[in-house]
Amino acid sequence: MIGVLVSVAVFCIGVYGVLTRRDIVGVLASIEVMLAGSMLALVAMASGADSVTGVRPLGQSIEAVVLLLMVIDAAEAAVGLALLVSVARRRGVTRIDELQEVKG
Amino acid sequence: MSFDAPTIVQIILGAIALLSAMTVVLVREIMRMAIGLGVFLLSVAGLFLLYGASFLATSEVFVYVGGVLVLMLFAIMLVQRSDSGRAVLVSRHDIGSASVALGLFVMLTVALQGVSNRFTGSAPESSMQELSEVLMGGRLVQYEIAGLLLLVALVAVIVIAGGDER
Amino acid sequence: MTGFVGGAVYGLAGGLVIAVAALFGVWWERKVSARIQMRLGPTEIGPAGLFQTLADTIKLVLKEDITPRQVDRPLFRMAPLLVFTPIAMSLVVIPFAGGWVPLNTSVGMLFFVAVPSVSVIGVLLAGFSSGNTYATLGGLRGAAQMISYELPRTLSVLAMALLAGSLAPLEVMNRYEWWWTPATFIALIVYFISSIAELNRGPFDIPEAESELVAGYFADYSGIRWAIFMMSEYGGLVAASFFGAAIFMGGAQGLPGVFGVLLIFAKALVLITLMMLVKWTFPRFRSDQLLTLAWKVLTPMALVQLVIVGVILPWL
Repeated sequence: MIGVLVSVAVFCIGVYGVLTRRDIVGVLASIEVMLAGSMLALVAMASGADSVTGVRPLGQSIEAVVLLLMVIDAAEAAVGLALLVSVARRRGVTRIDELQEVKG
Repeated sequence: MSFDAPTIVQIILGAIALLSAMTVVLVREIMRMAIGLGVFLLSVAGLFLLYGASFLATSEVFVYVGGVLVLMLFAIMLVQRSDSGRAVLVSRHDIGSASVALGLFVMLTVALQGVSNRFTGSAPESSMQELSEVLMGGRLVQYEIAGLLLLVALVAVIVIAGGDER
Repeated sequence: MTGFVGGAVYGLAGGLVIAVAALFGVWWERKVSARIQMRLGPTEIGPAGLFQTLADTIKLVLKEDITPRQVDRPLFRMAPLLVFTPIAMSLVVIPFAGGWVPLNTSVGMLFFVAVPSVSVIGVLLAGFSSGNTYATLGGLRGAAQMISYELPRTLSVLAMALLAGSLAPLEVMNRYEWWWTPATFIALIVYFISSIAELNRGPFDIPEAESELVAGYFADYSGIRWAIFMMSEYGGLVAASFFGAAIFMGGAQGLPGVFGVLLIFAKALVLITLMMLVKWTFPRFRSDQLLTLAWKVLTPMALVQLVIVGVILPWL
């Protein structure tokens, strides 16, 4: 149960970070924390052999899912950081609360 | 619960993961935050290894520590000039956010009560053969789509970050 | 608990191996460069100057551990260890002979290319925390170079994994057949060049070039911390050579026990010496030439090699 608890706690810490941090890099890092938490939950739940049969239930399938998650996450981080660099170059802004031009 | 070696390692790694996640979220100085993220990702990789997912652990190190974190450090160093001197990075809504996070934590913990974690201490190392058969067999379409997504992201990053040289 | 004790023993042994190998590597490099430049190299301390590096190391260790006032203190002091530790860790998956692989894991090849990538962070931090422009530029260039060359390096190792049908280095070594070397010669070349670049060694050492960047990201380091940077360079050299000898050249296969270790040692020594000859023969690449080489030459070459292996594979 420790692994699942840690993953849930990590996910919630990430949520707090996304809500409170104002710098774009910080928000992206918090999103990484959230995603790592969800991956950890998947792996922790799929880990360990069944006490009776000794086989890992769905282990490989879960690992494949987590691998695909990593790919998506890496793509997300790359695009997010590219946006950060682009915004910082064009507007000189690196904080979320300063990006308010489309605010009504 | 018996306190055998894997359980202790699990607790230590979990504690490191929690502490470094707190560092990522709370520390104001941006370089320390990146280091905290690095420690966090490594501890997650350690937990993966403990759970027998050695391929995932290695990929975690490769993709996140060697890729995403380095990209993040690059971004920090590229935009650092425009960001110096203003260190107030934590918002005023922290009480509301904390209650949201806490509520989510309680909710998820209650929801996951029924899930029994069968980790008994020594997870067998998963075999590469079976993993590749899953990836190249039943999940082939998802695998290909993920590759396509990466290609699109690569092109997008080049266009977004390098596009203003006109 | 045997796992932890065993791990600690292997860790200590690995650290010792890398330290001795670094000492020997520095001496060998000085001898090779001296022969190229028609000098003698170190001769005074020990037979043929063999203990010269030991004396140098003692001097470096005894030097005052200076931390400049303007640097970001904890990051500055941490950075050399962040560079060194991953490279030392990558040594554990190298198969020295049949039963002589410290950590026989099924993902060893990925481990070997993945773990040293952590040291990129150390390079970036060393550049950033020093707080001067030369070091920051050197750190950025070094990191860009290292992550660029990771790609062809991984692809070249992948070709061998594909050919052997396994990600375990020991398996790859055991399944080696003589015709693999001609069939995967491109991969060997790509691996060789990108390993040199990955270690920021000449001719790819523009990030730490004395004449351009006053030593780049370790401009502000001295004494033992500078020695740790040097040690990680030579440790990485040894690791890359042994891994290359094991994966691409059959390693210890064919000879039993100690003779096998000697065989892989000889092959690795050939690779090390070749890397040193390259360093002392070619002029430095410019920064943009470096990245062009990685992305436009080596990566396509590695992909071609993958296609070749893919064509061969069904005929086996």
